[in-house]
Amino acid sequence: MHHANHFYGHAHVLARYCGLDDGHPPRINGYVQHGWNIGDGLAPGHPYAERTPSLLWSEQTRRRAWSVGRRNVVVTGAPFAYLLDLRRDDPPPAAREGTIWYPFHGWEGQHVKGDHKELIARIRDTEPGPVTVCLYWHEYGMRRVRRLYENAGFRVICHGYRGHWWRDTDPLFLDKQLTELRRHARVASNRLTSAIFYGIAAGCEPAVYGDPMILAKEDPTFGGTARIRRQWPQLHGESVDLPTAVGIARAELGTDHRCTPAELRELLGWAHPAGGTS
Amino acid sequence: MTTGTTAPVALPGGEMLAWSDLPEQRLADGGPLGALAARVVPAGARVLLAGPHDPALLDRLAHAEVTCLLRSHPDAVALTDRAARVIVGGPAGLDPADTFDVVLAGAGLDAVESVEGDRLGWTGVLARLAAALRPGGTLLLRLDNPLGVSRLVATSPWYADRADAAWSVGGVLDAGRPANREQLRARLAEVGLTADAGYAAYPDPGAATALVGTDALDRSPTSGLLDAVLHGACAGGFVGGAVLQDPARLAVDALHAGLGATLAPGWLTLARRPGPDAPVDPPLPVVLVQTGPPGVGVVEVTDGPAGWHWAVTGGGATRVRPAPFASREAAHRDPAALTGPVPPGRLLRTLLLDACLRRDLDALRRLLGGYAGWLAGQAGPDGRLTDASALADADNVVVDGDSFAVLDPSWRATGSLPLEVVLARGLWRCAVTLLTGGYAHPWPSTLDVAGLTVVLGGVAGHDLDRATVDTAVETEAAVAAALRGLDADGRGALATELRAVTPTDPPAGPRGYQQMREAWLRQREELTRLAALLKWTEELLTSRERALRRADATINLLSGSLSYRVGRLAITPARLAKRGARAAKRRAREALGPKPPEEQQ
Repeated sequence: MHHANHFYGHAHVLARYCGLDDGHPPRINGYVQHGWNIGDGLAPGHPYAERTPSLLWSEQTRRRAWSVGRRNVVVTGAPFAYLLDLRRDDPPPAAREGTIWYPFHGWEGQHVKGDHKELIARIRDTEPGPVTVCLYWHEYGMRRVRRLYENAGFRVICHGYRGHWWRDTDPLFLDKQLTELRRHARVASNRLTSAIFYGIAAGCEPAVYGDPMILAKEDPTFGGTARIRRQWPQLHGESVDLPTAVGIARAELGTDHRCTPAELRELLGWAHPAGGTS
Repeated sequence: MTTGTTAPVALPGGEMLAWSDLPEQRLADGGPLGALAARVVPAGARVLLAGPHDPALLDRLAHAEVTCLLRSHPDAVALTDRAARVIVGGPAGLDPADTFDVVLAGAGLDAVESVEGDRLGWTGVLARLAAALRPGGTLLLRLDNPLGVSRLVATSPWYADRADAAWSVGGVLDAGRPANREQLRARLAEVGLTADAGYAAYPDPGAATALVGTDALDRSPTSGLLDAVLHGACAGGFVGGAVLQDPARLAVDALHAGLGATLAPGWLTLARRPGPDAPVDPPLPVVLVQTGPPGVGVVEVTDGPAGWHWAVTGGGATRVRPAPFASREAAHRDPAALTGPVPPGRLLRTLLLDACLRRDLDALRRLLGGYAGWLAGQAGPDGRLTDASALADADNVVVDGDSFAVLDPSWRATGSLPLEVVLARGLWRCAVTLLTGGYAHPWPSTLDVAGLTVVLGGVAGHDLDRATVDTAVETEAAVAAALRGLDADGRGALATELRAVTPTDPPAGPRGYQQMREAWLRQREELTRLAALLKWTEELLTSRERALRRADATINLLSGSLSYRVGRLAITPARLAKRGARAAKRRAREALGPKPPEEQQ
């Protein structure tokens, strides 16, 4: 029902997993969590119709959402976990090399402030192999920012546009991201974000370091970056313990809570699709 | 022993002429009390049956010489052909010189005393009956629990009893009346009796369908057998009435808290007058329970060196094969299957509900996955299940570590059922319990019963579809109809009823105030959800209409612009050419396409 269900082609991935046509995914009866989240699973300020199901990634998020008054909160796992299942039989990449680096991104409504040059220097000093920098479409479209990374000798890519109000969603956003992640040995960012967890799940060694930058009008309700560093210190640093990271990523993406297609169809309200879009 | 002729009726005074105590609800073969009495009474013993009892109980004591002490004259007349002697009046009418090997007071002591004559009170009646017991003799006494499950769920308070029998209301305020098992033991000791084995009587002490050893309840609060017995007895014991809360839930909670005996609706206690002729204690069952279709008899569980074992007494003991009509029914009960050990473990139903309440999806996956895997292991090469495993649902499956087993194997399918249908039926029953019972669970309220069944199937690792669930509901109706003895019309009506169950319905069974209120709350929450959704949808519609108007305005603006008109003029030849090409293509297809066959003249 909410246009955020389409972000990053999440609804499309879920439709594929459910055996439906992913051209126009049916309307989802609920809010699909669209990014790793230290709050109730919904983006800050997300319009909310009372008791509409929240389809969340992890059990921890479910408990948190319940504690702040949300009801009908259900753990289904991240859409990325479903994509991993859809592409579990992909041939393995010839060789994983280098690092895919995700500078923390803002979005249309919130811009990021920080020193990209300083971050670039830190990346150069830290990463042992070739670096691919993946910019969010917003920064990718800012020639000045993109050039900074290109001039540093990094390969600069963008996975696509996440979409807005059902328009211009790249339904293969996550697919492209998974393909890129599987080409790299490491995944890194200056903040612990969805991409880090995706990278770990895709087999990368994670790292979180560098200036976390400042997001304009960042919502401090759930503690912000300071709380993230306090709660997940094991995932911060230029090198982290991989088995620990894999366990945390598994829990945060809800990989073990991935539903079967029939189960997911019921939970999304797709058992009797009446048309419309999510 | 039963005389076959009319017994003499003694009228020592105190009889009630316009009164009857005989129970309205009567269990086949005297029920578990009859089975227990038959075990307690030795052959040829002199028995005093003090107070009103089901006449069928007298048939279970055919091996003894029974004297009935009744206050009701009509009841005495009704029993004269079953007893050796009938004394009509209060306990004062007993001959002080007359002693008995066994005194049975299965209706409690209140019903022994008459309205006529001096009041003896509870303690006085006990003293009189104890005095009638010879040294070494046995008393089987019922005492109702003032804080038992049946009282806790009653819609009317005990102290407001307005029934004809409530000419005097005894309760915990009466210091002479024991209110718990310890006080009962003390009262018995005061009259020279030693309390022996005790049974908790569920669900109604007046018509107990389950007698469970109090020691077993105290020692085995996690037993799947005791869980199933208490739940089954209470779920079936209040049907048609109104209750404050679900008695089955309360009884099972009491069991798990180690209070199954303490909160029992009543107790049956065996007490012995010490003496040189005390008989060797007969081995008594741990559980005596009567469930299912009549004629099965009383199912007993006995304790042995190898653990608990099934046994059947009464009607079922002699019936080793299903009834002839059973082959036409979807399911039947075969008491002959109750011969082996009782499998240990916890009841799957309880484990599932617990995991749902804690939202422990990992535990649910283990339990339901294990259940589905175990069912698959029971299936034949054709993927179908037969006999007890075909009806193995969470109410009748115990889990011991990682192993699953049918608890009571006497419930059996007559034919075979596909694995998916058996699984879907079990999960559908779980879904109904979760939703109509108002249990907290990990899934959204937007799921209907069939939807939750499919979700539970997913948790079990099986992709069920709604068609399979529908077949499972049909199977459930057929099974329930067979076990309840319904005809084809009844079965059809039941299937319709089962399909119509919604999450906002109260559970089947007694109308529980808590359950009705919870159902109302669920309906209110659903209305809240729908109203919020409607408001959201209206706002979204307004937003999209505004976007559409903007898009229309843009299109109109562009349509009227010079560049649009020039562009449209420029592409006119191309548009006309495209239109012509389409028409030519259509004509060519018509000309070359297969012609319809000519009609035969």
